Amino acid sequence: MEIGFSSEERQFREQCRDWLHANVPAERRPMDAIDAIDFDKAWQRTLFDAGWAGINWPVDYGGRGLSIVQQVIWLEEYARAHAPWIGANFVGVNHGGPTLIANATDEQKAYHLPRILKGEAIWCQGFSEPGAGSDLAGIRTTGRVEGDELVVNGSKIWTSFAHVADWQELVIRTEPGSSRHKGLSWVICDMHSPGITIRPIRKISGQTEFAQVFYDDVRIPLANVVGGLGNGWRVSMSTLGFERGTGFIADQVKNAIEVEELIGRARANGMIRDDRIADDLAQMRAEVAALRAMTYRNISEVIRTGQPGPESSVIRLFTSELGQRIERMAVTLMGEAMIDFAYGDDDAVADYLRGFAATIAGGTAQIQRDIIGERLLGLPKSR
Amino acid sequence: MDLTPSAEQEAFLTATSDWCRDAMPIEAARARPANLWQQLEAMGLTGISAPEAQGGMGLEFGTEALVFAELGRHLAPIALISTAVVRHSTDHAAKAGLTLAGAGAVRLLDARDAGIALGVRDGRVATFDVPAGLTWGVAIDQTVPLARVAPSPDGSDISAPRAALHLQLLAAAFALGAADLARDMAADYAKVREQFDRPIGWFQAIKHICADMAVRCAVARSQLYYAACALDAGTGDAAFHVAAAKRLADRAALDNGRANIQVHGGIGMTDEAYAHLPLKRAHLLGFIAPVSSSDLLTPELEPA
Repeated sequence: MEIGFSSEERQFREQCRDWLHANVPAERRPMDAIDAIDFDKAWQRTLFDAGWAGINWPVDYGGRGLSIVQQVIWLEEYARAHAPWIGANFVGVNHGGPTLIANATDEQKAYHLPRILKGEAIWCQGFSEPGAGSDLAGIRTTGRVEGDELVVNGSKIWTSFAHVADWQELVIRTEPGSSRHKGLSWVICDMHSPGITIRPIRKISGQTEFAQVFYDDVRIPLANVVGGLGNGWRVSMSTLGFERGTGFIADQVKNAIEVEELIGRARANGMIRDDRIADDLAQMRAEVAALRAMTYRNISEVIRTGQPGPESSVIRLFTSELGQRIERMAVTLMGEAMIDFAYGDDDAVADYLRGFAATIAGGTAQIQRDIIGERLLGLPKSR
Repeated sequence: MDLTPSAEQEAFLTATSDWCRDAMPIEAARARPANLWQQLEAMGLTGISAPEAQGGMGLEFGTEALVFAELGRHLAPIALISTAVVRHSTDHAAKAGLTLAGAGAVRLLDARDAGIALGVRDGRVATFDVPAGLTWGVAIDQTVPLARVAPSPDGSDISAPRAALHLQLLAAAFALGAADLARDMAADYAKVREQFDRPIGWFQAIKHICADMAVRCAVARSQLYYAACALDAGTGDAAFHVAAAKRLADRAALDNGRANIQVHGGIGMTDEAYAHLPLKRAHLLGFIAPVSSSDLLTPELEPA
């Protein structure tokens, strides 16, 4: 075990730091998805042109083919430089793209991967349904095979950036009468297809980042199925473990920076003299350190064995709950000023409110606890 | 950067684990064999990080912390912690007990057959002579012999700069071990104990208690590894990372210790069952190299 980085890695870190220092935009990222879309696309293009998009993606598809450790270093420096959230590019870069790399045909990869990296194509995720959120196997949206097309009917919900997206990673039931994990397919859906209706949903923080999507006889070529018809469950799961382990590095560094800022603020306004607040802040400082160590352990596991360890769900759960406690502390330190928020743009209050999503999206905290209890501790399955 | 144990470390860990299972079963924690210390010495476990010239193994803190977490999971003698520090940083090669200075009295822990005991005084680590003819009882942690003496006179400071952190790191490793033990006891019980015609671990109310125990262990273990590596590398933030490791391991040990009793239900309240052992160990360890809020808030850190 060792925590040092090689001289090559340290040099890479310097390069990241220098470029970010010179290029991070001075203006704030707009908060609402519609307002932010041009900003997000332009920033992604800037990253791509300078060679910082897809650091560990294959070179053939526009990536740099570098190591996971270098990817981690980039994400750490990215957060440390207060670089903007990649926003609308999140699903393409962190989920859709990696899923395509692992499962798609050469044609699918050649078309989509460079467009994702360049910020030309915005992706959204079509997993959750009005009747199936964390219960992904409960999907009811259907895709009927007709010739060389699928005809899709149904609805998806909580779809972040649906109203600005070009493509969707869509999981549908393609075998009539199938149930649970069987008979699902993972398809690439063109969000500009006829028959798609999008109804944006306003969040408790005031933003409209997610939407409900309705499919009325939407036609998708069979060539857009990834990983084969009926293999949707396997394809969906293929990147989740990785996502849970390393998809949160930027959040983790952001949390560490935020805790430092909160300690500074509590000193400045005297609230640090409240023993309970001092104790909570001390605990958070220890916990963000542990979260980094846990992520490093998980990455070491990926390097050693090719896949993340079973503790990925622990990272996912711990990150989401720690983040929420940090956001809650931020509004606690604001005192009564937090009530001035009226769908306004105070970052701390907006982060606090939209942070409730962290323990719901991508499998609720309760689902994560089930996974930890069953897979890590071997307790009997209750579902 | 690699925070997974190496093949050699894994092998050492497996050997330790196998030996602990035979030599230190939990069922016998309250009455360890008289020659247990000699066995620990013969296994080399009292001198993992001690210099080879001193008869130790000369291994790094990282390996020692890993192995101590395993020893802690079997409620190994508390004097292993103090002995490891003394053997690493002085030329005293035999067992060393622990002292805890409190109001009006000094508590001597596990210092039978030990000429000296290690304690912390004004932030400095020092050794004290163990007086002869003491009356030994047991601590709340029934595996630990305890004697009370009047406030002791001068001891001799250990000059090694990292001795205090070494003590804190190994106490953290023992606390993690106690947390691991409580988690495993709870999960094992939840698999076999049936209520309403099902193993109680089937119910989310129990499953989620156990999952939280696993999360606390994973968090504390990760930070322990990082802290041990930071101490080995002598990084400027090592003191913070060791303190963070101790804080998280202490919390995990206490919270898991309590949760384990709850999962065991009525039997968990009894003396004859073992659920109280890791809890009592956790309380004891909380007083060894404790961490205050200011230990964690004061040092300047560079984030990330």
